[in-house]
Amino acid sequence: MADDSAASRNETIWGLLAAHAVGRGGLASVADACAICVTTVGMDGAAVTTGKSGPSHVMCVTDEVSEHLEELQLTLGEGPRVDASADGGPVLVQDLAAADVAARWPAFGPAARLAGAAAVFALPLQIGGIRVGVLDLYRAQPGPLSADHLGDALVFADAATVLLLHHRAQAAAHAGGGTGPAGQPWPLALHRAEIDQATGMLTEQLGVGIEEAFVRLRGYAYAHDRRLADVARDLVARTLWMGPGRSPHHHGAA
Amino acid sequence: MAPEKVSGLDIELLPEAFVELADTLVAGFDIIEFLHVLTDRSVELLDASAAGLLLADPRGELRVVAASSEQARMVELFQVQNDQGPCLDCFRSGEPVSAADLSTESWRWPHFSATASAAGFAAVQALPMRLREETLGALNLFRADPGPFDRADVRMGQALADVATIGLLNERTLRRSETLNEQLQAALNSRVIIEQAKGKLAERLGLDMDDSFNVLRSYARQRNRGLSELARAFIDGSEQLSDLSAGPLPPSPRRG
Repeated sequence: MADDSAASRNETIWGLLAAHAVGRGGLASVADACAICVTTVGMDGAAVTTGKSGPSHVMCVTDEVSEHLEELQLTLGEGPRVDASADGGPVLVQDLAAADVAARWPAFGPAARLAGAAAVFALPLQIGGIRVGVLDLYRAQPGPLSADHLGDALVFADAATVLLLHHRAQAAAHAGGGTGPAGQPWPLALHRAEIDQATGMLTEQLGVGIEEAFVRLRGYAYAHDRRLADVARDLVARTLWMGPGRSPHHHGAA
Repeated sequence: MAPEKVSGLDIELLPEAFVELADTLVAGFDIIEFLHVLTDRSVELLDASAAGLLLADPRGELRVVAASSEQARMVELFQVQNDQGPCLDCFRSGEPVSAADLSTESWRWPHFSATASAAGFAAVQALPMRLREETLGALNLFRADPGPFDRADVRMGQALADVATIGLLNERTLRRSETLNEQLQAALNSRVIIEQAKGKLAERLGLDMDDSFNVLRSYARQRNRGLSELARAFIDGSEQLSDLSAGPLPPSPRRG
């Protein structure tokens, strides 16, 4: 994209998602993110699989080759997606015919090429320790993912992460008595350390895992129609307590 | 005998710094810990009050991965630089950018100059982290007193920024052009996990974020564990840090 600031990239991509969803007559979904990502970053197909580790659940695919690539990795237990979910970083393979690919994935490499892929890019759907799945992209022609396209693809991966967690956050908001704004998820804000710190704090306050803590944090923000960053700041400043009873370290008003 | 000082550069501390950096390279390398050692040592070695290291996320944002102080005010100061400031200019040009007196630079970076002054800083030097034609990020040095950074300090600072680049490439060899981006994303995600772990530990022990980070870091060091790996284990519940909650807090590492 021409303007490479993170804010405008975020805005553009969520705009594309919303437009696509409206054209379909629904709310933005992970399937929308897959479909638009393919065209925006010049790919031939995409798939989203969910599950933190081990065999994953294929949530959506854009074409048969993508479906085949996921089946292969599920069956063979190796491939970029498997490594991406284990390593915590993206796995970018610009040429499946390269020598090091044969050494890394002796079974998947040749099988993926037979299936019609020449380049594969696996992006984990994660926010720190929150890991919800992997976005797999493939191209029939070899070649690198440009810095610009990588940036876009990462924002699509962020969007898919938020969308996957969104319905749970909404459910948490409704359970808390609120309705939240407009029913659409909010894009991940520009990175704010306080949101991550607040998520960590909530694991202790609520006695839950990191993913659930994030869902509850967003749910609270929806229910009270407040910005996520503002709620996070209050938690870090210890003027807000979301756990049961009273906070041991709380110094806000009771 | 007084320690030998060539301009601002503290020569006596130099060998010690390199030994410590070399140690982090062998004992279960952790990129975030490595970059933290680097920012700590930048403050000690160079005539600087604080240092921070920012990496460029391909999403289009500069992100703080290590700072000599974890205080929120410092982190905010670095974050502001996504809009304007010497770090952004340095990243965009790939060249060092300096401001000897921020009070005269408000025309250049109005928002940044105001935030830096409010945090107590008068001079800043940004040094690029370069790899071939690419700029990966920048090392930022802040000083409380105005005045230009000494040439020897700038050269040493640039050497430290180059060491940071090498650290980023350390875990895997650069086989493909993509490897660097894989490394960068993994490092940025590690930083997020550390923030989450800081929050969890802060809540458990009733600490502020700065102290929580220091406790986590000391714990990892004392047990020869990677900081990111420890943070990840603490977040996923496989590491309880149970011997921490009872005992006294370890002494805090230096603060910037």
